[in-house]
Amino acid sequence: MLTVTELMVFYENALAVNELSLKVETGQVVGVIGSNSAGKTTLMNTLSGLILDQQIKEKRKGGERITIMGKVEFEGRDISLMPAYERVRLGLVLCRERHPVFPDSTVLENLLIAGHLGSKEQVKRATDLTFDLFPNLVRWRRRKAGFLSGGEQQMLAIGMALVVGPRLLLLDEPLLGLSPAMQQVVVGAIKNVRRQTGATIVIAEQFARPVLPMIDHGYVIENGMLTMTGTGAQLMDNPEIKSAYFGV
Amino acid sequence: MLTGYLIYGLINSVVLVLVALGFNLTFGISGVANFAFGALYVTAGFLAWIGLNTLSLPYWVSAPLAVLITAVLAGLLYRVVVLRVRGLVVSEVIATFGVGLALLELFRFLGFIGFEYTLPDAGDFGVSVLGVVIDSQRLLIVAMGAALTAFLWLFTRYTTTGRAFRAIAQDEHTALTLGINTERTATIAVAFGAGYAAVAALVILPLGTIAVNEGYNVLVNALAVCIVGGLGSTLGVIVASFLIGMAQTLTAAYLGTHWMMIVSLVAILLILLVRPSGLFGSHKQLEERI
Ligand SMILES: Nc1ncnc2c1ncn2[C@@H]1O[C@H](COP(=O)(O)OP(=O)(O)O)[C@@H](O)[C@H]1O
Ligand SMILES: [Mg+2]
Repeated sequence: MLTVTELMVFYENALAVNELSLKVETGQVVGVIGSNSAGKTTLMNTLSGLILDQQIKEKRKGGERITIMGKVEFEGRDISLMPAYERVRLGLVLCRERHPVFPDSTVLENLLIAGHLGSKEQVKRATDLTFDLFPNLVRWRRRKAGFLSGGEQQMLAIGMALVVGPRLLLLDEPLLGLSPAMQQVVVGAIKNVRRQTGATIVIAEQFARPVLPMIDHGYVIENGMLTMTGTGAQLMDNPEIKSAYFGV
Repeated sequence: MLTGYLIYGLINSVVLVLVALGFNLTFGISGVANFAFGALYVTAGFLAWIGLNTLSLPYWVSAPLAVLITAVLAGLLYRVVVLRVRGLVVSEVIATFGVGLALLELFRFLGFIGFEYTLPDAGDFGVSVLGVVIDSQRLLIVAMGAALTAFLWLFTRYTTTGRAFRAIAQDEHTALTLGINTERTATIAVAFGAGYAAVAALVILPLGTIAVNEGYNVLVNALAVCIVGGLGSTLGVIVASFLIGMAQTLTAAYLGTHWMMIVSLVAILLILLVRPSGLFGSHKQLEERI
């Protein structure tokens, strides 16, 4: 479904992603594991087109701070130069890190904004699915999203991505800053998303422990480079992974 | 006497609401500081005048056409000038103010000065409220103020484009990841704001003449209302319009009309000292943006 070939991304002269190649098959849940500043967000933003958008804006102002090389293909189509909002129309949807929601809009409005591409029935169905997956959100539906807790905002952010109607859902650190209990809720919801929508999912995380058990395939990156790859089970048993990403 | 001042103060407040709504829509919602706003307001007035007098078009053609052309001009201004400097706020302000300045002075250069530049008003009837006679044009202003405010409120809540306005105002990157074409949305917001300015011009300008200097006054007033109310807040626009509008009218009544513009400037200074985010500004937008 998604093929990334020898991707390189520079900020100024700093290399954030280095000759990265990876593949995501339809229906899979794929993990991208890496510690802080390994290049996960840069990778996700490149896939979603946000980096391209940033690059274009910088160029307009006369700067050439960002360089992107390599190829991103979605369902056999080269999307390297496609604007971010058009990629969304193909079903490639990113949920950015640090629970991106519209703080001044209510929970319901957030979901409606996310549903701007879909028909009324589609949006209704996806909104219902979100409230099914995250029953906590139901009682806050008329509350401004800025007043929700971090975990609730993360749930809403995932819900918004679902309302858009993803065929490939990119989740950037969905567990960041959540309590272990909340992490379990989100992990459970992600599993449900796969079951109920059939979406293919890519999760970027630094916490390997809750993520590895649910992924079909994982890529470990360090300093923007691929250091290891394997099935979830293979990575789970790897002693290096254990010492580096499972903590003590 | 006082009743009269109060009623005329209220009407003046509605004038400010009309003038500031469009500016607020563009600045607060698309996040673009359109400092050519006053120039666009005056342009709409002259366009309508040219349509009526030079081209001899009927009012119902000339007025909508003026609104449409003003909106398209603003959209072009955004595409051609602002997009390049988007995000560099000082550059946005300078670029749009520069274009506005050029536009206004062009009108002056072309000789658009004098008492013949007036727009037709709503006719000769009046209504008496608490013993004060309000003419039809001022009644129209109040009705338009209410209608445009209600329309904006409904539009930003119940339409896809309106929701997209609110989305790009809050977080452009997130809007983009939801599939919103943010630059197109921002262009529409700028054009929409200019359309509001044009409608305001068509109902307010018949009270006097279409003068180049109005462009500067309108910008200062719109800026004052938005800064005092808090950028992006429609409720803020309304409350601030009434505070400043009443203050202006009472100042004019007791100190003289030439003190009126001072009120806006003092209001800007006061609010910047006391509460820089404005009365209803939820974020520290102002500090960030100016
Ligand atoms: N906008 C940016 N400008 C310059 N450097 C950046 C920018 N964003 C990220 N980086 C750098 O790129 C590297 C990868 O960062 P990032 O992709 O955010 O990693 P992660 O998401 O895995 O924490 C880091 O060294 C970071 O400092
Ligand atoms: Mg990151």
